[in-house]
Amino acid sequence: MYRGRLERDLSLWVGKGLLGQETAGALLAEYDSRPASFSLGRVLMALAAVLLAAAILLVVASNWEAIPRLIRVGVILALIWVVHLAAARMLARGASAAASGLLIIGAMSFGGAISLVGQMYHLSGDEQTVMYLWFAIATISAILFRSGAVAVVAGFLSWASFAVYLENYDTHWIGLDPWMAPVMAAIVIGLVRYTGAERARHLAYLLLIGWLAWLYTLYEEIAVALAFAIGGMAAFVLTALPTRSVASLVRSAGAAPAFYSFLVAAIGFLLLHIEIEDGWRLVVLGVATLAASVLAIALHGRDNGAVRYLAYTTFAAEMLYLASVTVGSILGTSSLFLFSGLVVALVAWIVIRLERRFSANAQGEGA
Amino acid sequence: MNSLMARLQSGKGYLLSAIIVAGLQTVILGTIIQSRASILNNGAEVLLKTAPVDPRDFLRGDYVVLNYDISSVRVQTVSGGIPAEPGEHTLWVRLKKQEDGFWTVIESSFHHLPPLPETVILRSQPFYSGGLAAGDSIRVEYGIERYYVPEGQGKPIEEARNGGNVAIAVRVSPAGSAQIRGLLVDGKPVYDEPLY
Repeated sequence: MYRGRLERDLSLWVGKGLLGQETAGALLAEYDSRPASFSLGRVLMALAAVLLAAAILLVVASNWEAIPRLIRVGVILALIWVVHLAAARMLARGASAAASGLLIIGAMSFGGAISLVGQMYHLSGDEQTVMYLWFAIATISAILFRSGAVAVVAGFLSWASFAVYLENYDTHWIGLDPWMAPVMAAIVIGLVRYTGAERARHLAYLLLIGWLAWLYTLYEEIAVALAFAIGGMAAFVLTALPTRSVASLVRSAGAAPAFYSFLVAAIGFLLLHIEIEDGWRLVVLGVATLAASVLAIALHGRDNGAVRYLAYTTFAAEMLYLASVTVGSILGTSSLFLFSGLVVALVAWIVIRLERRFSANAQGEGA
Repeated sequence: MNSLMARLQSGKGYLLSAIIVAGLQTVILGTIIQSRASILNNGAEVLLKTAPVDPRDFLRGDYVVLNYDISSVRVQTVSGGIPAEPGEHTLWVRLKKQEDGFWTVIESSFHHLPPLPETVILRSQPFYSGGLAAGDSIRVEYGIERYYVPEGQGKPIEEARNGGNVAIAVRVSPAGSAQIRGLLVDGKPVYDEPLY
């Protein structure tokens, strides 16, 4: 994605004489040499590791009688030792792609091993504990080897753990276990920052959003939806604040914090629309939703494409919704669109002025 | 801390990391195995009647669901009162051997039960209870509600279970943890259950 755009832009600049051909080549080579950039070999290696690990997990699940179970335990323990030691050798040699694959197998095999023990002794009701142990092992491995691949495994295990919780407790809130989902999300974000596995960040944010959605199903009240809308917008505005401590933290996290906090707000607005169907409250809600979209575009629209498109979508959906519910007659619809058109024109005018200010600021900074 | 991590992430350090991660996994697995094997080895033996589907666990494979007579504990057996406030509770039950050879609940409590001769105390898994209005029996699980079988072999056991001919031999640790020792159809064990 980014590489394609970079290459296009570079050739454009070369064509315009802004950049020498050699510099462009050097810039592209620098990008390709970054460890986080896409490498087909690296991705295939990770996929192969996932397939091999799945094969191991399924052999365990088949409870194959041909192999005595003590031997099964021995084999899987031997496998765990071999892959970790081999990964250490690979890393020492600098073969990081192969090492990531081996570490993925190592982290997954532990789940197979612990399931095997559960199967041997006919254990039931311990699924949640197993998930905690498995997540903990993946976390420790990701930290010690500073492995982004294992951080991704930990991210998926945090989902699995939450899924096991929901299944075991029939989606009710019981005890302290529900807090583990946000705790695991925080740990995964920590791992992402430490290992540099940028894309795994989304796993943590999506887990948090799933968790919030679950909270709403527990308490289907306007207050919860309102909290999502207000809390989401507050967090969103916070990401745009130029305060030094917040700004550096947010900037190093890329586009995600702004996008996901606005997504939470948008979900809150959507839920509010389900609760509030008519009257003056709907008008207030509609105006608030439109205003929030405009605010989102104003604060992050320029630099954050994901926020921009989500805000466009929210804005358009809100307009269509208002058009479909508030008016009964054709003349009523027409007058609503007239009014909407005038409002949007006003908004466009404000946005254009804001954009001018942005570019003026950018030039001011550049100068 | 940082210098330690930096040292771990270089040449020999990776080896140490590998030993820590693999060693930790070995210790966890070994601990679980040993704790279970020791119950099998030293625990008190009880024989339970099952009031017995072929479900499948994603990680552990096919299993037969086991529902015991002792899974629903009559409220009359509860001594020491039922906690009034809703929340997570654990139930201790005292089992005694009946004339037919099966063990049944003669007393239960939401507090520790003192050991008595010729009885075995079993601890339930923590469960959510809505407080006093529990009805006339309490449903509990003991962590022995599944019997894992090789792929595709659950059906005969289920049929026997539905015919009421399946019994489960269980070993119980002094702390009240239960461990399945074997599955008996018509009084005969179906699978070998070695310690390890």
